[in-house]
Amino acid sequence: MTKPGPGTTDGAELAAGSEVDTADRGTRTGETGTDLAVHLDGITKRFPGVVANDDVDLRVERGSVHALLGENGAGKTTLMNVLYGLYEPEAGRVVVDGTERGFGSPQDAIDAGIGMIHQHFMLVDSMTVAENIALGNEPTKWFGMAVDREQIAREIDDLCDRYGFDVDPEATVEDLSVGVQQRVEILKALFRGTDVLILDEPTAVLTPQEVEDLYDVLDELTAQGKTVIFITHKLEEATHAADAITILRDGESVGTVAPERTDREDLAERMVGREVLLEVDADPVTTGKVVLSTRNVAVEDARGVDVVSGIDLDVRAGEIVGIAGVDGNGQAELIEAITGLRTPDAGTIAYEGTDITDWSRRRRIDAGMSYIPEDRHERGLVMPFDLVENSILGSQRSPEFAADGRIDWTAVRDHTDDLIDTYDVRPPDADADASSFSGGNQQKFIVGREFERDPSLVIATYPTRGVDIGSTEFIHDRLLELRREGVAIVLVSSKLDEVQALSDRLAVMYEGEFIDVTDPDAITEEELGLLMAGQQVDETGKGASDAGTVGTNGGESR
Amino acid sequence: MERIAISVAALFAAVLVGGAFVFVSGGVASCRSGLDIAGVTFCYNPMQVFYELFLGALGNPLQGGWSPTNLSLAKTLQQTTLLIFAGLSVAVAFRAGLLNIGTQGQLVIGGFVTAITVVFAESIVPGGLVGMLVLIPLGVLAGAIGGGLYGAIPGALKAYADANEVITTIMLNFVAVGITSTLLSWQFQDNNSTTAQTAPVPEYAEVPTIPYIGFDERVDFSLLALGFAVVLMLGIAWLFSRTSFGYELRTSGIQPAAAAYGGVDEKRMTVATMSLSGALGGVAGAFWVLMVHGRWLKNVPSIGFDGIAVSVLAGSNPLGVGASAFLFGMLDSGKSAIGSATNVPPDLVGILSGLIILFVAMPEFFRMIGTRYVDVRSPKPARADGGSVPDDNNKVADESGGEDDA
Amino acid sequence: MRKRFRRTREFIGRHPRAASLSAVAIVLAFLWATPASWQTSTLRLAVPIALAAIGGIFAEKSGVINIGIEGLLIVSAFSSIIAVYWLGDGGATMGVSNLWWGLLVGILVSVLFALIFAIVCIEFKADQIIAGLAIWLISLGLAPFASRIVFGSPNTASVARFGSVTVPGLSEIPIVGYLLFDTEPQVYLMLAGTLAGWYLLSRTTFGRWVVASGENPKALDTAGVDVRKVRYAAVLLSGVFAGLGGAGFALGTLGTFAGGGDTAINGRGFIAIATYLLANYHPVGAVLSSFLFAGLNSLQTALQSAGYAIPTELIRTIPHMSVIVVLVLVGRTRLPDAAGDHYESGED
Repeated sequence: MTKPGPGTTDGAELAAGSEVDTADRGTRTGETGTDLAVHLDGITKRFPGVVANDDVDLRVERGSVHALLGENGAGKTTLMNVLYGLYEPEAGRVVVDGTERGFGSPQDAIDAGIGMIHQHFMLVDSMTVAENIALGNEPTKWFGMAVDREQIAREIDDLCDRYGFDVDPEATVEDLSVGVQQRVEILKALFRGTDVLILDEPTAVLTPQEVEDLYDVLDELTAQGKTVIFITHKLEEATHAADAITILRDGESVGTVAPERTDREDLAERMVGREVLLEVDADPVTTGKVVLSTRNVAVEDARGVDVVSGIDLDVRAGEIVGIAGVDGNGQAELIEAITGLRTPDAGTIAYEGTDITDWSRRRRIDAGMSYIPEDRHERGLVMPFDLVENSILGSQRSPEFAADGRIDWTAVRDHTDDLIDTYDVRPPDADADASSFSGGNQQKFIVGREFERDPSLVIATYPTRGVDIGSTEFIHDRLLELRREGVAIVLVSSKLDEVQALSDRLAVMYEGEFIDVTDPDAITEEELGLLMAGQQVDETGKGASDAGTVGTNGGESR
Repeated sequence: MERIAISVAALFAAVLVGGAFVFVSGGVASCRSGLDIAGVTFCYNPMQVFYELFLGALGNPLQGGWSPTNLSLAKTLQQTTLLIFAGLSVAVAFRAGLLNIGTQGQLVIGGFVTAITVVFAESIVPGGLVGMLVLIPLGVLAGAIGGGLYGAIPGALKAYADANEVITTIMLNFVAVGITSTLLSWQFQDNNSTTAQTAPVPEYAEVPTIPYIGFDERVDFSLLALGFAVVLMLGIAWLFSRTSFGYELRTSGIQPAAAAYGGVDEKRMTVATMSLSGALGGVAGAFWVLMVHGRWLKNVPSIGFDGIAVSVLAGSNPLGVGASAFLFGMLDSGKSAIGSATNVPPDLVGILSGLIILFVAMPEFFRMIGTRYVDVRSPKPARADGGSVPDDNNKVADESGGEDDA
Repeated sequence: MRKRFRRTREFIGRHPRAASLSAVAIVLAFLWATPASWQTSTLRLAVPIALAAIGGIFAEKSGVINIGIEGLLIVSAFSSIIAVYWLGDGGATMGVSNLWWGLLVGILVSVLFALIFAIVCIEFKADQIIAGLAIWLISLGLAPFASRIVFGSPNTASVARFGSVTVPGLSEIPIVGYLLFDTEPQVYLMLAGTLAGWYLLSRTTFGRWVVASGENPKALDTAGVDVRKVRYAAVLLSGVFAGLGGAGFALGTLGTFAGGGDTAINGRGFIAIATYLLANYHPVGAVLSSFLFAGLNSLQTALQSAGYAIPTELIRTIPHMSVIVVLVLVGRTRLPDAAGDHYESGED
């Protein structure tokens, strides 16, 4: 595949790749063309040590849905933050409605009719929907002495009618589902007269059904003449929902294509820059005794609502049990209960035949439980500590490094150097603070530390998040190696291909329960998606009658 | 390195602002002679005030006939000793992420327990050298236990009832005064005196001075006590850097979630840290009783609050506490020098410690000044500004981290 | 017990109207059952606590924990006394009683300190708790310092205090009339300040911005509102309320200011913090719970003057102990999400 050199412009790529540029529909003149809603011209944005956007062009036609596709770190969000006035670019022009604009702040962008919906919603959880929608833009009465709540309610009603939304303006945001919260964000943008709506990874937190609803909303928006730019790294979404797709790679634009003129393979290649293979060797599984066994585990949240309930899970030595599900369906709480960071409100947890429900986290670590946490900045690493100090997080009292309560820093340093070496942590500087490493290298270090603890159970949550493809393969290989060595492994990931490829059994979690336990090889990605949305699939059979049970026998399908 | 630079800069800034303040307030005060500007007489000369404050605390070394064992320096070192204990008390808690504002109360309780224990034990233990060897360790231990238990209260309240330790420790300071005064008037008042104080401990139970190193007799200062403080300081530094407990304590202070992940029992750590912190506060009280007064007085000076300043200035680094305690020891001893040599109210010292804390709390201020200064002097950013360089790195790491989570 | 307590607080959060009605009922019941002198003294002692609490609510709601509120009470109290002393005790300037000028000076000085605190926290990203402690410690030194310069002693001279102002007609209302409409100016100011604080926080645009700034500053920023300005305004407002409380207390109740030790404010600023935590940041609730602490305070004074053989030193700490009890019962309050955090626009 052609690898465009630096500085390759949109147009040049078109010539080489012969795709249809959206601008081809009569507006090659760019900013003077009237039906271009947004034109970003040669945007360059640098951060210390990184060029986040390198001479990027983007032309977005009015009334269209435009996808901005690229891997994590390709510079998509940075580009949109430039358009939204959060960042000032080092070079390039921002043209909105044919007029060149310099946005010093989001307020300027809002005034120009641009609205952005961030991946993490910008909502005040404790406020009502109406209060959030009007925030910063409140109409007032009595000479500004009071917020005109009636007018806000009227305007929201109008908007809901026009776009077919069903949102209760008086509901408190924290009580709403993620999908509804997203709609509140969209309403918020519409409330302040947005014409161009930027959505940053809008589907990341949605169930498949909510994603479908979102597509409908996008259609309705463009039908009413609004323009939508959405950022994604998911190929299907780009091809499914967009009228045009611009692909970014390593901060550069790799071209703009129409979805009907391309296919997934082509897009993937452009995104990654080489052919993508995700192949894992699948040894036959030879399982041993049950290492982890939970019975009827339930966890309540602070408000007393069950976020995990009735979880029965058995994990044997030498097998990988995957847990799939849309984020926020109780996976995090279940894992915390297993690893000892949280006391379950009901049920028992047994480890190698012993009831460990009341064991402290300390005892569980000492007993050989390794845990790759979801959040490496909060949990996995102490950011201001160097790697040497971080290398004993969890084993700070183990006989190996601290025989009598005194830490043997020489032994720790040797251990750290080994980890850096084996797991290819770069730069290989044991004395550098954890915060100075890139996300992928931080992750490799944590994975190494946990794998080298000589565990009999590994709980791996999102083990390859933010890690480059080469290291991902390495981590996968190590996981399979541990499995061969007879380690029991629980793998939690939102990457479906990852859990499907690695797991011997796959449990799907929905609203705190195991909705099904299946053989990952016998289920399609579509079926998995349905399960994650809470729909039982009869064809996959076995688990459907007693959903929520992962018995040692119940899930075995080989 | 940057920490030290910021502390020094904060000190200078506090002196500068304090000096300006002294000068201005001199315009309000009435006096016979002073600097006349535009019809206003400014009574105070800040230069003179700080000269007296700092050099006076050392016994005016620039004048003739100075001896290292002079009265002012002895007073400074006496305060330094107490402030090392108090500063360590605060530092231990701060490092664990606990803002123990209650060192004062722990000191009051610890000192009181020391005094009544020693006075009580006096009747059982033989006198002389044996009495000294038994009573002094006993007294210090009693103070540590008293302060430690009193520190454990807010620790337990924080761990098991989620009560904010800043507020509870401040309240417990008030309560400590109430409890001790009540006990004093109920049982332990020295009947031979009208001052609110306990009976004196026997002379042999006061921390002895080392013979032949003759610090001024009028000040109760013992090099042995200072030596003990320094040893304790080194011990705490060793605890932090070389032990599992220290590792867990520091981790808890920086990232509680990471500590929990690493198997630290947060609740126990909170209680343990607050107990240790309280015990150190209690030791400060014990030495205040055994070294300075030989008895407990109801009117306890604010050593515990100064301990906050000591620890903040030292960046909660145990070794830094030593230097910082010496500085505040000078301020304390210089207080009387200001009082006698100038008309400036000695309460100035309290304002100065507050200013020092305020300036240390805003490192960003000095980074900005540093950056500006560097920018003006050379086109390239130089190493002199230690702050911004690692900061930028952090930012990059954070940014990439943020993107990953997409 | 604790759980029930928490439920109650959550109920208050969700049903403010029902909660305030029942609070009024409880207050009326108390009024019926207790002696009038105790009630009057309670109201007067509540002034610094209640007003400081309202000020603290604004600052903390906006994301800046103002633990230095004790310091603001101290500086406003002694500066108002000094101002009255200088202008002439008992006199008037430009036709207005010097007491009112003193009140104004107290407020201005408090706002000045709040401004310093705001700059340090917002501009220079200082740790809010440490900076707040610094403000407190500076004030602790400043009060006796200034007194010594002016009066030659850590305690100020005495000045005449505010007298009672009777509202004709309204003061005849049974049960509450004599309390609310035949009292001193600082009590009126407290009542008016409570209502103003509640209105500002819950009904105006500014109030919503304050809440958003503390809960999710980024949401406010992306909505085009300058978070820094909102926080500055909120912290300065806390200076206004605390100044009103400190100066009102000094000029209305104390008439003098003792600057030694913990000063005459004696931890009331910290009690104010406990007060608004207890009330879950509701201004009216905070004022009602300040009556609890003030009531204990006046009870202590009453017991003392009644000559009961109770150790006075211990009795004096009853309000402080009750703060601890309250914190234990309340447990962790849900602080605004971004309270204590510095916010920088444009950071991702």
